[in-house]
Amino acid sequence: MPIYFNDREIVLPGQLLSDDDRRAGKGTYVMDGKVYASTVGAATIRDGKVEVITFSGPYRPTAGDMVIGVVSDIKPIGVEVDLGGHVTALLKVKNIKELTSLDLKVGDVVYARVASSGLKGVLLELNEQFKKINEGVLLRMTPTKIPRLIGKKGSMINMLKKITGCNIMVGTNGFVIVNGPSPAKEFAAISAIRLIEREAHSQGLTDKVIAYVSKLVGSEVMYDTSDKA
Amino acid sequence: MSFLPLKERSFTVKIMSEKIYKLLQQGKRIDERTPYEFRKITMQTNVVEKANGSALVSVGSTRILTGIKVELGTPYSDRPNEGVFSVNAELLPLASKSFEPGPPDERGIELARVVDRCIREGKAIDLEKLCIIPGKLVYILYIDIYVLDYDGNYFDPSVISAMAALATCTIPKYSATGERVEGEYMRVPIRDVPLSSTIGIIKDKLLVDPCLVEENSLDTSIVVCMDSASNVVAIQKNSPGHIPLSLMESIINVAEEQISRIRTQFKEVIGIEKEGREHC
Amino acid sequence: MTQVIKPKLIDENGRRLDGRGPTDLRPMKIEVSVLEKSDGSAYVELGKTKVYAAVYGPKEAHPKHLAIPDRAILNCRYHMTSFSTDERKILGMTRREIELSKVIREALESVVFLEEFPRSAIDVFIEVVQADGGTRTAGLTAASLALADAGIPMRGLIAAVAVGKVDGTIILDPSDIEDKYGEADMPIGIAPGSNTIVLLQLNGKMTKDEFKQGLELAQMGIQKIYQAQREALRRKYGASVTEV
Repeated sequence: MPIYFNDREIVLPGQLLSDDDRRAGKGTYVMDGKVYASTVGAATIRDGKVEVITFSGPYRPTAGDMVIGVVSDIKPIGVEVDLGGHVTALLKVKNIKELTSLDLKVGDVVYARVASSGLKGVLLELNEQFKKINEGVLLRMTPTKIPRLIGKKGSMINMLKKITGCNIMVGTNGFVIVNGPSPAKEFAAISAIRLIEREAHSQGLTDKVIAYVSKLVGSEVMYDTSDKA
Repeated sequence: MSFLPLKERSFTVKIMSEKIYKLLQQGKRIDERTPYEFRKITMQTNVVEKANGSALVSVGSTRILTGIKVELGTPYSDRPNEGVFSVNAELLPLASKSFEPGPPDERGIELARVVDRCIREGKAIDLEKLCIIPGKLVYILYIDIYVLDYDGNYFDPSVISAMAALATCTIPKYSATGERVEGEYMRVPIRDVPLSSTIGIIKDKLLVDPCLVEENSLDTSIVVCMDSASNVVAIQKNSPGHIPLSLMESIINVAEEQISRIRTQFKEVIGIEKEGREHC
Repeated sequence: MTQVIKPKLIDENGRRLDGRGPTDLRPMKIEVSVLEKSDGSAYVELGKTKVYAAVYGPKEAHPKHLAIPDRAILNCRYHMTSFSTDERKILGMTRREIELSKVIREALESVVFLEEFPRSAIDVFIEVVQADGGTRTAGLTAASLALADAGIPMRGLIAAVAVGKVDGTIILDPSDIEDKYGEADMPIGIAPGSNTIVLLQLNGKMTKDEFKQGLELAQMGIQKIYQAQREALRRKYGASVTEV
């Protein structure tokens, strides 16, 4: 398949990527048999398709996502949860009794799984993964940077948790909760998360973050980087 | 009449309010500032050449652009020897998802009127020097404030940018008979630099210059304007909620300290007796 | 009342009042991500014309009954500050600002993949901070960048410029005085990727040949602006900035 970019090259909307219109993936569109980028991002080939990893953009809910949201309304049918951007999800309840037992109020923060996203809107699941979050700092990140925050198989986020001693919950929709043993450690985690957001697409980020956050926490932590992203 | 129905106002995230108060009890804030610490303030003047005076001021990520246009007109009948100024403000929809396009809502109007009182009672402008022919011809200054980016606290940078634009504003010179003196310009005569400090209150704790996240968690807030002699020249409690009477004295004292610090920076950056710049 | 005397806008050597030749653009400055709170933003300066653009969205469409079931609504507001013009502009939207908001919105609608966000709204705000001719084209150029900065999927960027006619000569990128005293002013917005026109207006009179000439000249100017847009995006997203 003829392609017109190097792997991970930064492409701009309208840029020609390939002549094979059967292999157009995310972040691209097809016109006159050719594939073009539709957003600013890094072009790559994934699962045999030409794809643009978008640098910034809205959260697109997918079934199975674990998200963090803020309760924005309580209705007899269920609880409305603001996931940021244009997405308000619904946590459906079976009856009023279930609604009352949830004991949720407008302004509460919840962690839940996306059951479905389609014509009926975004529905959240009330299962054993569902959690009301009782304390911590709520951060909002660009959703597209969340994979970088998590890292390959969770390497980045686990490293951060270990060095700062904070509990960090990450929502695919870009909302993050940081809860730590002390303000200093929480600030360290928050600063590290902001650094990752700023430099999500640069090389050598993991090492940089380790050095940065270790310095903030004030410890000489020797961290095993052999399984870094 | 315009009003923001309660449902449209952004609701408070409970865990954030709790965290913010818990941090305050330890003398800390969510963005690592101390309770009586302002965010970084930057000031740039003469950013719009077509305006007679202009200033772009930022406090943290909140950014305000003020421009002044000068015209000639008749004075108010009860103040025949004084020039006239009016203040307008717009919370531009560019600045925040909670600013809707359209005519200024109650917040924009409140902002304009409070800045106006601050400048007027603070006697910032020597209005008599803006009179050309008593009773007939005076300068009219239109001070227009635009909020470009909003991360909490639009009052303080609005006052700073209005004052900075005034202090660097040049106006065409007219003779005592109302004739334009070609090629000559003069400064807007400034007598004092009244400035403001916004103070947020959560239970028994005070914090200055609330950022947006803090603003949504405050019990209430208040804007205090003072002149360089520490006279209070305007006050506005600009939010619903209660201020314990016992806190009022500290509020005034904290405001005084903040304002004087900002005024020092203002004088360094802007200067009051500055050389005339190249005219427009 | 002083009599309005039309100045000579172009001399025998083809020099314009500001020293430019007929096919010269004014100095340009283009930046993206200039505002923090919006989802995407840009700033464009062309000579003394200074314009900001900011994008919020996609977001919930309000009021809900106006939402479109199969695509997003694109809202656009072109607005000038009171001190942007020689004479103070009155507060509130003038008829001109309303018209320009419409043509700019329609240009943007032609390139944004609105179908990807049913029942949503995308808000585009253009604020002219100083006006010296070419504000709507600078606004459109900035708005298209702000949309790209926000990660909103599009067919491609839009670059726009105006051409004018002064003392019989077709010129690129008229300034305010050339617009005011010239014989024609034609703003053009093009999606360079597909080589299609998305905004086109004419104020004044041109022969068919002059119109053709103007269109060609505009394309030349647009290529330069398009280049500057791409450079601005690469500066923001290409470099790995160290800010520890």
